[in-house]
Amino acid sequence: MSTTELNSQPSTRQIALAGPRGKGPRRPLGQRFRLAMRNPVTAIGVLGLVLFAYLIVAPIVSLLLDGFVVQRRDMAITMADEGSPTSYYLWRVFLSPFAWSIFWEPLLNTLGIAFGSIVLVLIVGITAAWLLVRTNMWGRKWLATALIVPYMFPSWTFALAWLTIFKNRRSGGEPGWLEVMGIAVPDWLAYGQVPIILIFACHFSPFVILLVGNALKRFDSTLEESSRLLGASRMRTTFSIVLPILRPSLISAVTLILAKVIGEFGVAYILGLPVNMNVLATSLYRNIYSDQAGSAAILAAVIVLIGAISLWVDTHFLKEAKRFVTISGKSGSGNTVAQLRRSRPFATGACLLLFAVSVAIPVLVLLLSTIMRRPGDFSPGNFTLDFWIGRDLPTTGFEDGLLFNTEVLQAAWNSFWIVGSAAVMAGVVGLLIGYVIVRSPYRWLSTGLRQMLFLPYLVPGIAFAAAYLSLFSEQRGPLPALYGTAAILILIYFTEQMPFASRAGISSMMQLGSEPEEAAQMSGARWWKRFFTIVLPIQKGALATSVLMAFISGFKSLSLVIILAVPGMDVLTTLSIRLLDFGYLQAGNGVVLVIAAISFLGTYTVQKIMKTDLAQGLGG
Amino acid sequence: MPSIRLENIVKNYGTETNAVDRLNLTVEDGDFMCLLGPSGCGKSTTVRMIAGLESITAGSLSIGDQPVDSPERSVFVPPEKRDIGLVFQSYALWPHLSVAQNVDYGLKLRGQSREQRRRRVDEVTEKLGIGRYRDRYPSQLSGGQQQRVALARMLAVDPQLMLLDEPLSNLDSRLRLEMRAELKRIHGENETTVVFVTHDQWEAMTLATRVAVMYEGVLQQVGSPLDIYDRPINRFVAGFLGVPPINFIDLEGDAEHVRAAREFLSGRVEDLDRIGSLAFRPETAVLLPAEEAAGAEGLVLPVRFDAVMPTGGSWTIDVLSGGRHFYLTSLHRPPFTDADDVRVVVPPEKVHVFDIHENRTEVQGA
Repeated sequence: MSTTELNSQPSTRQIALAGPRGKGPRRPLGQRFRLAMRNPVTAIGVLGLVLFAYLIVAPIVSLLLDGFVVQRRDMAITMADEGSPTSYYLWRVFLSPFAWSIFWEPLLNTLGIAFGSIVLVLIVGITAAWLLVRTNMWGRKWLATALIVPYMFPSWTFALAWLTIFKNRRSGGEPGWLEVMGIAVPDWLAYGQVPIILIFACHFSPFVILLVGNALKRFDSTLEESSRLLGASRMRTTFSIVLPILRPSLISAVTLILAKVIGEFGVAYILGLPVNMNVLATSLYRNIYSDQAGSAAILAAVIVLIGAISLWVDTHFLKEAKRFVTISGKSGSGNTVAQLRRSRPFATGACLLLFAVSVAIPVLVLLLSTIMRRPGDFSPGNFTLDFWIGRDLPTTGFEDGLLFNTEVLQAAWNSFWIVGSAAVMAGVVGLLIGYVIVRSPYRWLSTGLRQMLFLPYLVPGIAFAAAYLSLFSEQRGPLPALYGTAAILILIYFTEQMPFASRAGISSMMQLGSEPEEAAQMSGARWWKRFFTIVLPIQKGALATSVLMAFISGFKSLSLVIILAVPGMDVLTTLSIRLLDFGYLQAGNGVVLVIAAISFLGTYTVQKIMKTDLAQGLGG
Repeated sequence: MPSIRLENIVKNYGTETNAVDRLNLTVEDGDFMCLLGPSGCGKSTTVRMIAGLESITAGSLSIGDQPVDSPERSVFVPPEKRDIGLVFQSYALWPHLSVAQNVDYGLKLRGQSREQRRRRVDEVTEKLGIGRYRDRYPSQLSGGQQQRVALARMLAVDPQLMLLDEPLSNLDSRLRLEMRAELKRIHGENETTVVFVTHDQWEAMTLATRVAVMYEGVLQQVGSPLDIYDRPINRFVAGFLGVPPINFIDLEGDAEHVRAAREFLSGRVEDLDRIGSLAFRPETAVLLPAEEAAGAEGLVLPVRFDAVMPTGGSWTIDVLSGGRHFYLTSLHRPPFTDADDVRVVVPPEKVHVFDIHENRTEVQGA
């Protein structure tokens, strides 16, 4: 054994396997703590936990508490002191004589609308997805992008276009086009559930097209072919093979839409108000405005609960979806495309019709409405650009055209700087949080952050706003009351974007891996140096994308800020609603068009930056 | 140039078994030390602990005379202060910096003047043959060129220690050969201490001055490449090195080859029950006709000739004994057919003997 050094241990496998039981050896606690704190990741993570406990958990807790303690205005009714515990609001919302109009009717309306629009959207979406992915229909490539566009517009854009055409005498202000042409529009067609369902079907069809389309695209067509070869008809194959395998995607689409419909405020507000039809979101809004904070809290809790259940269902089925993916394994064989012959023009025609209904007509109607003095009058003399560039218009308190109007310019400026700074914050913090979650050696830290940042996603915008109102409407500790300030808007836009921003951060940090940074460490760079010379420059594209995404999403968001914005601190979305409340149809529609245009351009830009088209996989 | 001393090092990630278990290893000044073992054996973890990218759980790690990681003494020197170069398996080139900027990064951090840095970058890139790619970005380079940039980036700052974590495993076989020569040259020129991680025994044999074989977190054997090949300390090391692999005969049952093994051992060991297995390397055995093998000294296995497979320069011979396959290598095609009565003969000094604990045991005349 002259040159051979022996390991001090006698043997090989047995020893390694019989290593220390249980937790194994560890460094002393104090040392581990100091090692951890030397790593700025831990410090940033802890800071993040504290910040979001304040911005996310505290408002939600504060909101829920409001539902169970006596509010000042109800001291007489409850015969109890302000702040003492009470079940009065539970009674009021669920059991009292008002319960029908506060809760049960809005709930039924909400569920009815959700059900109707989901059924409709599935029929439209699945058909379109199949046509786009699995047939040789004409214009697949163009349509794959075009049919995604409705998603880029704020949902209530469609509601305004609807009103412009179908509005009847029931509500004041300018009449609708059909009314002007002498066609009496019944209430059920002009307002309420029917138009809301149609509009949601248009607005949410892109979700189904994307989710189902991508699933179909990944779908290994040999699975279908083997069924056909065993003697099953096309119909039977569809129902026994294709649909069951698509089920996770379908359920995902359904729950996503359900969660969104429940929190949707704008459409129901615009089309429900004239016939006094409420959904949960508008009932919540009315309770806040009539100073019923307690009842509002209970309503918000119900909305959160429904949102949470539907998302739980979604993640549950998402797990199942993963199982399906492993089964199909390496398919690689691609898809066979159904060869349409005589039906080819009909297929393209149907998709074009969908595009017309969900994009072209609404946009055209809105555009026309803003250049017509009197609605529905198509004589050449009726057309004008006054509402865009005119002065001294007959609209009281809003005398200048949109492009010169100080209120519009102020709101536009507010939208840009408020949403803009929130988006920048969300992007940067999201990247940092993603960094912490991916790199932190402590599981409690990453899991804590991950779960906390997921909460805003569960809470529909209007309920979240109610929570912010509840927490920040009065002075607490060193923090002054924030209601009516830009600060509260920035905070809520920022927080609302965190689920997406942090996800983006996580995925880009995952992609980067730890080695480039470790290489810098080996070169002698400390943490700050590494972060600013290596991590940030590599991630700047991802950062730009996530900032822009946050900006667009915030820019077109209405329900998040409708109860927080006050006159003078309007953003474009809230201003448009205020104008419509005044009956200024042209001005309101004009502002919405501007929002839609900016949001469309923004989304388009993101896709160009990312070089990945949302719809790219779908067509041709 | 310093030595590295690892004393009783344990690394545990909070699981039942240790990723690295009570590791004692000294890398001497100027060594080219290869850590060799199958994937998951703890060799990469060891290198990352030396680099400081992982902290050790127990034990102590010193570079030169300086302890750099020791829980007992509450010492931990972060990687950026250890002055160690590391080349990653993935190269970890920074995609947003050009070749020159990648190489320059460490120099900049050391506060050298612009002129000094430029000269050093030129010098190192020239030496590694990537001078004309200085302004390209990593994505515009081939795998071999990227590998050279990673080396250049490490060499530029003249680290006192170089660590290489499977640096060649992403290259094709021709480039590997080239880079191996390059590494050997760099080691010779700079007289640096190098720790090199690989799962490729061929790489370890050709490059290293010393090889450390690891398995399941435990160091098995340290020594010169030939030493480890010729005198494996236990059954695992014997089986891990060599292509085709070493032939084992387990002393179990009463098959033909086991009887032959017992016959070889009788008279050489006193207590046959102590012995677990024998082994011989494919190239140490010869195939002889039965009559020639009669009375030959060493291990004599009666075999049936099964197949001959050409491997280019040599032949791999597959023989059967007691229902088991044994593999031999030979420079010449053996002149037998499967009808011939043949024997495998292994000279006694080439027979490895392992006890029932799978450790090497020395026997008389073997």
